[in-house]
Amino acid sequence: MQTAHASALSGLADPPARMVDGAAMDYLLIEAVNVLRVSSAVASARARKIERDMLEAGLVPPPPPAKQNPRDSASSTTGKISRPADEDEGVRSRLEAIGMHVGGNFTERLCRDRPLFSDSLDVIKFVCKDLWVSCWDKQVDNLRTNHRGVYVLQDNAFKPIARISSWEGRQEALKRAKLYVALPAGIIRGALSRIGFQGTVVPEITTLPQCTFQIKLLKST
Amino acid sequence: MMATTSKQYKAIGEDLWKSRTDKINSELFALTYGALVVQLIQDYEDYAEVNKQLEKMGYNIGTRLIEDFLARSSLGRCSDFREVGEVVAKVGFKSFLNITPTVTHSGAPPPSSRPTSAAKQSGVPGSTFILTLDENPLAEFVELPDEALEGGLWFSNVLCGVLRGSLEMVQMQVQVEFLSDVLRGDESTEIRVTLLKYLEEEVPVGDD
Repeated sequence: MQTAHASALSGLADPPARMVDGAAMDYLLIEAVNVLRVSSAVASARARKIERDMLEAGLVPPPPPAKQNPRDSASSTTGKISRPADEDEGVRSRLEAIGMHVGGNFTERLCRDRPLFSDSLDVIKFVCKDLWVSCWDKQVDNLRTNHRGVYVLQDNAFKPIARISSWEGRQEALKRAKLYVALPAGIIRGALSRIGFQGTVVPEITTLPQCTFQIKLLKST
Repeated sequence: MMATTSKQYKAIGEDLWKSRTDKINSELFALTYGALVVQLIQDYEDYAEVNKQLEKMGYNIGTRLIEDFLARSSLGRCSDFREVGEVVAKVGFKSFLNITPTVTHSGAPPPSSRPTSAAKQSGVPGSTFILTLDENPLAEFVELPDEALEGGLWFSNVLCGVLRGSLEMVQMQVQVEFLSDVLRGDESTEIRVTLLKYLEEEVPVGDD
């Protein structure tokens, strides 16, 4: 097929990258959060049902009774009511997983023609420069490290959250931003993982549009 | 005034694309969308439901995206459904996704040579156009497993929702569906848009 040949050739020829409008990505991410909120609730409900079915069939032992503080009247609710925090956790972890897929695959292509990384600092610099520029059009503004596997990357105008405005006000915008950055955190984590470094990436936003990412690399053997 | 020609719409689309200041690598976009579809498959375990969720997501996107589109393109109202197809293919898809699907019209009455009145659009319900996508930025790197093919997944179903949502906001109720997809091993990737009816524009309270 014409198209297949064309894309095979373009992979070899290394032309300017194909682009789409940034707005398309923005709209996708906004609605992805909504769709994932619903789907994660469906998945949790299904998992809980399976647990209940197994419990009823006697396949698993019943959970130990929860210790009740007689003075604590708030503890009487069962787990049936899904709390907002749980819902968000489902969305957050899915966004991170999506990010990891994106970061891993994208990094593989970015790293195709470059020599092997010499050490973890080299890898972090790659993240701060090459990865950041390819994904978010600029480099990281500030990098700090304790030289023992912890790195803090700071972006003063982080693109994915730079345009978050909310008609509901600054608090809502901040809350929304804190959820959205799970995906970029995943991208970073996925990139590191594909290069061979396991670790955690924790995003933090105090004031929009500034964002920091704390990276803790596990000791590689 | 003569109707805008197909070639003129193509030029408008290209100008709009060139003027967009914030562009991203389409691989990032494709990887993100692909991972999202996989997550939905894991969560729902039901391809028909995933198709539905993708369409719904697209609908929500479409209702926002149309405002952006109208603002950036400053195009007036389309005089008939045929023109809608031209604008969608050459200006809409071009300015957001940088692709220009081919558009094939059918069932629409021949375009009138005199300008139609601004108040009422013309087009027979049942009019359709088919968009044929030679490239699909959502589907880079995607190969569907047999299970998904047999399960009836329409990987890019979000596009149907986007079209439905955006056209609804400009007073057209349409039905949008994939007819074929190269991801499924078909010859081509085609989306059919069918006009169901025009929606009455809501007059704000207080207007005479």
